Amino acid sequence: MIMAIVKKELLQLRRDPRLMALIIVMPLLLMVLFAVALKLEPNNVKMAYLDADRSFFSDMIKTGLWSDGYFQMYSVESKNAIIEEIRSGRAKAGLYIDSNFSAQLIENEQPHITLYVDGTMPSLTTAMKYNSSAATDQDVTNDMYFLDEDAPNTVIAEDPFVMDTDVLFNPDEKETWFFLPGVIGVLIMQIALILTGITIVREREQHTLEQLFVTPISKFSFIIGKLLPYVVITLIDFYVILGVGWFVFDLPQPSSHLLLFALAFIYVAVMISLGLLISLVSQTQQQAMFVAIFIIVPSILLSGFIFPIEAIPAAVRVVSYLLPFTYFVEIIRGLLIKQTLLVDLLYAYGALLGFVVVFVSASVMKFKQRL
Amino acid sequence: MIQAKQLIKSFKGVRRVDEVSLTVEKGQIFGLLGPNAAGKTTVIRMLCGIMDTDSGEVEINGSSVEEAKHDFGYVAQYFGQYGELSVWENLKFYAEMYGVKDEAHLEALLERYQLGPYKNSAAGALSGGYKRRLALVCALAHDPQVLFLDEPTAGIDPVTRKLLWDDFYALSAEGKTLFVTTHYMEEAARCHRLAFIAEGKMIAEGTPKSIKSALGDVNVFTFKQSYSPKVTEVIQAVAGVQLTNQFGNDLHIVASKEVSKSLLEEKISAVQGIDVELRETEPDLEDVFIALTQGGHS
Repeated sequence: MIMAIVKKELLQLRRDPRLMALIIVMPLLLMVLFAVALKLEPNNVKMAYLDADRSFFSDMIKTGLWSDGYFQMYSVESKNAIIEEIRSGRAKAGLYIDSNFSAQLIENEQPHITLYVDGTMPSLTTAMKYNSSAATDQDVTNDMYFLDEDAPNTVIAEDPFVMDTDVLFNPDEKETWFFLPGVIGVLIMQIALILTGITIVREREQHTLEQLFVTPISKFSFIIGKLLPYVVITLIDFYVILGVGWFVFDLPQPSSHLLLFALAFIYVAVMISLGLLISLVSQTQQQAMFVAIFIIVPSILLSGFIFPIEAIPAAVRVVSYLLPFTYFVEIIRGLLIKQTLLVDLLYAYGALLGFVVVFVSASVMKFKQRL
Repeated sequence: MIQAKQLIKSFKGVRRVDEVSLTVEKGQIFGLLGPNAAGKTTVIRMLCGIMDTDSGEVEINGSSVEEAKHDFGYVAQYFGQYGELSVWENLKFYAEMYGVKDEAHLEALLERYQLGPYKNSAAGALSGGYKRRLALVCALAHDPQVLFLDEPTAGIDPVTRKLLWDDFYALSAEGKTLFVTTHYMEEAARCHRLAFIAEGKMIAEGTPKSIKSALGDVNVFTFKQSYSPKVTEVIQAVAGVQLTNQFGNDLHIVASKEVSKSLLEEKISAVQGIDVELRETEPDLEDVFIALTQGGHS
């Protein structure tokens, strides 16, 4: 009798080719994707620098940093600009070398240089600190000892110069600051996709859609009426979760509450409209669930939520940029942790709005008040 | 009034509805009769505008279906109300979809269909008969002139079925037009007009009385006989016999005019070993239904 049930279940599965495809193709695709993505060899981490010294010695430090390929360096005009580059997300690290670096070096005064690292992603921060040690490597420092022939007994510092590390934005490198903003997005994505993902397909399965299509309601009113309650519920959810982050986990306040609300609203709209689209292309609730998971899992792994985007190979990064969650993570960390300026987040807001437009248009095209 | 011209619908390359045309006058109860999979539900869905036609036109009260949405109501074959909502919430919902705010009218509808005591019960918890009533009430919320009912009494007990039909007559007397699909003979007999559909084609149309002529020139014989496979076999072997149909202890034989009564009597007597006398009778709607469905018509 057990076998009879087993057989029946297998037969039912086989009769749902779309579900079968999802069950087989999804894990394969994700497996390959993650296997490639999670090699995680960050290189080309962008570093903004200002070398005010412009000497043979300061060049040696830059070469040391540059040579192993971890950092990709570009120069900026001022010390402030270094911090702004990191705040905007264009750079993850910075280097400042003062104008009297070589003068002090020659005088054995042990000058200081400053390494700036973005603290929003503690794992990346650690990696950057580790890789920056190339700057103080023996290859670099060997030629930086100056013996004063007049005073041969002068005690020379062990290190000719000191590199200070300044962790920006999340100086304590709190993991919660790094994770929580993204967690909010993951939760909202789950709630929205599952709520709306089944909303229409369920009415189809339960035959209520047939009865509804007979009424004079327009396509537009139907879609808006269907989505509005979920937008509101999910938006409330967003602030409830964020509230917990603020009051329990000490998450910082945003640079602008208006921008944060705009993010919440647009992001919720993206996810709700994506849920609607899922509901329209799925034939059963089961299929809808699978498609939702198919979107949620790579979002978590490829968005920069857990692993820095820089660490993801370029080919897979294309997928990252096709995931709305990637832009959410970028914006919410910018607003809550880095106080990033709107200008530097505009493209991410724009991307999210673009997703809304695409998902809503596709839904409108797909939706017909017909059986 | 409902008018449909040359409706055609194919699924996966197979024609499921083939050039169906029909006209239903105001106040009539029109029955679309046919076996399962004949295309009844497809026709009714196309008439209601929830399924596209491949070709053909539908008019309700002289307007296109889209324009006439306020003029008609539809009760689908399956329970299509919201199980989690109460009877009253379902009714209010459908009323609001049509902009109806008159609660007294809605209350009256509930009373008319004995749903008053269940006003606050979850629709999903109602019995089959009451679910059907709720569906009907929701379809009537906006007081439509035309009502489409897809197998309205399928799976309903005889008492409730009678109550529903009494009500259909009342609705028709109020001037409403009813379009009903069914495969119950006694229901078909209650319609003012009938159309017969098999394999997507309309094969007969008329009043329940006139539709019997769809069998063409036939004689119908009957005699008392408890079911006997042997007799059935012998009779069906006679050329010109279109149908044998057993009703309890009565056997109906539908045969073309060339088949003589005496020939049949002879055949049966030979099997039974006693003299049998056949009585000539009118074809029953069921005879017509089965004969037409089997393709026995010519």
